[in-house]
Amino acid sequence: MKETADKRERRRGVSLLLSIVLIFCIFGTIVYMVAQKTSQEMASAAIQSLSESLDLIQCTIEAILNSEAEFQALIAQETARAEDPEDFILSASSNRTIVKLSLIPAGRTQSISNNGEVFTAEGLDFSAGGTVRGMPVSRSYLNYMGTWSYTIKCPVERDGQELGTLYIEYVYDSIDRALPSDGFYNKQASLYIMDAESQRFVLKPKGMGQRNAGHLNLDDFYRANNIQDPGIRAEVEQCLGEGRNLLFYHDIRSVNALNYMWSVNGGTVFLVGYVPVEAIQQEGRTVNQNIAIVVAVMLAAFFLCVILYYFNWRQQEKLRREREQERRLHSRQLSEALRAAQVASESKTTFLSNMSHDIRTPMNAVLGFTTLLSRDAEDPAKVREYTNKITASGQHLLSLINDILDVSKIESGKVVLTYEEFTLNDVVSSVDAIIQPMARAKGQEFHVEVTGLRHEYLVGDETRLNQILINLLSNAVKYTPAGGHICLRIIGLKQRSNQYEHIRIEVEDDGYGMTPEYLKTIFDAFTRAENSTTNKVQGTGLGMAITKSIVELMGGTIDVTSEVDKGSLFRVELELRIQEGQADRRFWEAHGISRILAVDEDAQSRETVRTLMEDTGVQVDAAARVEQALEPVRGGAFQLVLLGWSGPGSDSLRAVEALREALPGGTPILLLAEHDAQGLEKVRESGPIEMLTKPFFVSALREKVVRLWADADMADSAKAAYAGSLEGLRFLAAEDNEINAEILAELLELEGASCEIVENGRLAVERFQRSEQGEFDAVLMDVQMPVMNGHDAARAIRALPREDAGRIPIIAMTANAFAEDEKAALDAGMDAHVPKPLDVELLKKVVRQCVEGKEKR
Amino acid sequence: MNRHKNGGIRRWAAVFLAGTMLLLPAACAGRNENQNLLPSKEVDGRVVNFFSPMEKIDPDAENVARTASDLTVAMAEERLGVTVAYSTYTAENYRDKTYDDVALDRARSNMDDLYLLNPDTILTLGAEGKLRDLSGLDSAKNLREIIKTANTVDGKLVAIPQEVVAYGLFVNADMFRQYGLELPETPEEFLECCRVFKENGIETPVGANRWWLETFVFAQAYADLYNGGNTEAEIAALNSGEARYSDYMRPGFEFLQKLMDRGYIDAEKAAVSEAIEAEGPDFLAQKTPIVMAYWGAANSETAYGKPDFDMQVIGFPSSRGQMPVMPMTGFAVGADAEHAEDAMRVLDVITSDEALQLYSQTNRVISPSKNVSVDCVPALRPLNGRIEEGIYVLGSNAGMNVEQWGNTCQIVRQLLGGATVDECMAAFDRLQDAALGLS
Repeated sequence: MKETADKRERRRGVSLLLSIVLIFCIFGTIVYMVAQKTSQEMASAAIQSLSESLDLIQCTIEAILNSEAEFQALIAQETARAEDPEDFILSASSNRTIVKLSLIPAGRTQSISNNGEVFTAEGLDFSAGGTVRGMPVSRSYLNYMGTWSYTIKCPVERDGQELGTLYIEYVYDSIDRALPSDGFYNKQASLYIMDAESQRFVLKPKGMGQRNAGHLNLDDFYRANNIQDPGIRAEVEQCLGEGRNLLFYHDIRSVNALNYMWSVNGGTVFLVGYVPVEAIQQEGRTVNQNIAIVVAVMLAAFFLCVILYYFNWRQQEKLRREREQERRLHSRQLSEALRAAQVASESKTTFLSNMSHDIRTPMNAVLGFTTLLSRDAEDPAKVREYTNKITASGQHLLSLINDILDVSKIESGKVVLTYEEFTLNDVVSSVDAIIQPMARAKGQEFHVEVTGLRHEYLVGDETRLNQILINLLSNAVKYTPAGGHICLRIIGLKQRSNQYEHIRIEVEDDGYGMTPEYLKTIFDAFTRAENSTTNKVQGTGLGMAITKSIVELMGGTIDVTSEVDKGSLFRVELELRIQEGQADRRFWEAHGISRILAVDEDAQSRETVRTLMEDTGVQVDAAARVEQALEPVRGGAFQLVLLGWSGPGSDSLRAVEALREALPGGTPILLLAEHDAQGLEKVRESGPIEMLTKPFFVSALREKVVRLWADADMADSAKAAYAGSLEGLRFLAAEDNEINAEILAELLELEGASCEIVENGRLAVERFQRSEQGEFDAVLMDVQMPVMNGHDAARAIRALPREDAGRIPIIAMTANAFAEDEKAALDAGMDAHVPKPLDVELLKKVVRQCVEGKEKR
Repeated sequence: MNRHKNGGIRRWAAVFLAGTMLLLPAACAGRNENQNLLPSKEVDGRVVNFFSPMEKIDPDAENVARTASDLTVAMAEERLGVTVAYSTYTAENYRDKTYDDVALDRARSNMDDLYLLNPDTILTLGAEGKLRDLSGLDSAKNLREIIKTANTVDGKLVAIPQEVVAYGLFVNADMFRQYGLELPETPEEFLECCRVFKENGIETPVGANRWWLETFVFAQAYADLYNGGNTEAEIAALNSGEARYSDYMRPGFEFLQKLMDRGYIDAEKAAVSEAIEAEGPDFLAQKTPIVMAYWGAANSETAYGKPDFDMQVIGFPSSRGQMPVMPMTGFAVGADAEHAEDAMRVLDVITSDEALQLYSQTNRVISPSKNVSVDCVPALRPLNGRIEEGIYVLGSNAGMNVEQWGNTCQIVRQLLGGATVDECMAAFDRLQDAALGLS
């Protein structure tokens, strides 16, 4: 069907082409015929025109000859009348036409001419028989002036008796003067006057001469103009003989020309020459040119139309193709969107079913154990057991909710990073503090390694960084069976800019690992490894999505390699800005530390110490063994010795002893050891020693130095604070929810603190206003409250005209647990932020910090 | 994008239409019927009549010399606003008046203003006082001394040439090589070459015409006079009658006689032959190995400009080796010419350094101006080498009281016509005696 349509299309195209060709043929034929006709008419017009011109010249010359003949007849009459005809001739003067008059009296052969020369008729040739008005004309000759001339003779008769013959010599120059000085046909025609008898050219166009050679005689004319056709030459001969005119076409120097032989005076003289046809047909050429221009313009217009049509068609075609492409693109995008929507819908359905399962499971535990609790309320052991389980389930539920909220926030782009100064030491310690117990609880080994790091004082969102690490590590803990190993490595990479520390965080485990299929979707939200093993593990499936989003928000990258039953390795690369002036050389100078010794068998550890201490201005001497550095140690060169602990079976113990012996009194030895290092008891037993947890951080060393160098009293009070609880403290708490208020009151009571609860912010402000100075140690402020919210209340308290209004610790206690909520609280003048549900340990820590801080002030 | 393109087409279409609208009224504009329809014509009556030889030509052949001369004339016409009108003449055959005869007639009758004259005519007309003194022209100041000497008659510089005409032998070097011959230096060597050619079946080894055989005579007659270091004294002796022209001329005539006697020259044919016309075709067809011609013939397609063989131009044989012969042609202005002043101006332009540079470059000839020099074609190098060395004889000399070029030509014709060498020498003696006023 399609083929038939194509054929039809092709046939239509061919017939269109044939039609166009036919039209062009007809058009061309018409133009050709018109041109032919014009050309023929012009040719006959040219011949006509040239004939007329030549006729005119012929008449002019004949008129001159006739005048000369008439003049000569007159002179002959005058001579006859003269008494002495010879005297009469001698007395005549020559002019520009008549150059010589001679009279040969009858019976004599010579006489004297009017110019005084002897004259005979011998040199004159009248044999050709040419006459003018019946008077014989001689053949042309070069006269005594070197110019072409002819002589006409006539008898001088008196009373019927012949007195003699009058010979008058005329020069052709006089004819030349009578011809148009510009020639004819705009100087393009050439005109020679030929003596028919001698076939010599006796008059040539002026101004030609050397430039166009000129011609000597008819033969020369033939040769110069390449007239070799015997037919033409015979015709010319015939015309010369008969005194006929002749016009013929012949190319002169490749130019089409009309050649002529024009008889004058019955054939005694001929006009010879040629005129380029173009010179005669100037207007004809213009007509032809105009026809050509019109045809060319029409053709150009036609082709222009074709081109315009073609461009238009091409443009339409292009537009059509673009529209088609656009339509295809749209339908593809629509189908992709549909598929994506379907996938999203599917994964949300899966997520909801997961959530349903995941939320119901701990909720079931909470409600179940609550039922059990009310039944076994009398049995304290069971109560404790149930409440522990309820707490655990509650914690899990809380983390689930936190994750869901985090994901929804990240997805809606509301997460804002808070850049603050922090030290990697804090990050590592806090992560270690969280993960270490978890790992230990599962019987796993957890190590932290730091290598190649140049700076530990950095700027970034510490909380989010913690979140990344905890997500990765808690995942590792979750998906690693008992007896497995988990390792956190913080590796300093080559800096791309000296303002940024380029670090790689590696979390490696030898746990269950992941299938390649799952690896592809691990960072997608709402996915979770589904298999019999991991199903034992509870989780939201959001942790990795959150982690990836945060890493990307920080401008970093995350990738993972994993193998089933072999373990997984997560790699996060981040660039964190280095704090300005973090080196703080003055601290070390102030504490009199200019040189320390680092002894460690592990070369990498030594290098880490040296690298991190580089900017402090403290000289670090590193040694693998203590013996290598005993000499300077004895000399008191070091203000501090760092000694790497390599285990109870090693030389470390001996090294400690050697150092104690060699060191001058008071120089502290810091033992660098893993968190869970064994055999330290022995060292402690042998004498006082300070510990520093590996990995080494300058900030940790600084804290240690502060502690070591600090006043003993300060150390004691600090110790007390660290060891203490909320015992004896009195709080003012603003909490509108009764249950929460009750829980808070109970918890604080358990910790030995007392608490006065008010229902909203205004009441809190009023109560504080009324209170005695020092009556409350701190204010715990809910944020969302009726009448006056927590922020306004905090501001109001801070604005009170009391001495302690500015320093009373105000701690936000709210279910608004995001970073911006914390920021808003701090902006409102509060000192800290504790999220709900309330974690007593966290509350204790925060309260302690605040109270302690305020006291210091 | 598309819209932009559309806009472009629309804009062009608008421009096209606007142009058409503008052109339409112009095309339809009628002509004004109430005016004189003849185009105004500039009237320039200043004409200089110039008499020069006519050359019979072949179709489509390019005559470089003529082109060169015309270029300078066009320069003069443009500069001076005059028209140079040519009158030309050439003899149809030997029975006709020669160009020199006609030139004499025309100059004596004041028919023209400017003449191109052969050396003998220059001297004749100069002596008759029919030519103007040209020494006042600017171009005359640039002339080489030899030119001034040769063209000064009675203390008047009467002619100035556009080129130094040097005559030489045009030889077919391929044919010389073919027969193992060296190019001849002396008359004896020349005769030997002719003998060898003749023996090898070349009927007439030397192509001749009725004009230029005299060059052989001059080469032998004056080789010593012009190159012996005693030129002025020898000429003075001739002018005073102490020395006889016939003594100088005899060896050359005897030499010609030998050439004729031994059939190396076809004397009968030569006596009625015009220059190049008769001997040229045979030379170009490699039937004749030797001809004589002037320098410019080697450049001109109408003469020997395009031979199919290795053509060399050498001097004529003499006791001093190959000898170029240099007669002095030149432009002269009629003393009583109708447009003498304009003719002088035209002459000043066409012989100016600028015009001569153009002429020499086009024609590749030796320039009469000491300020103009041009490379010659390879064929002319042997001849040019001798001229550069200063070795040549003059074919005409206004300082000699017997005109040389024309008279010698005439007497050689007598020899061709059967006169004996002695009769020819007697003719020279008569001429000398006449010049000395002895007869």
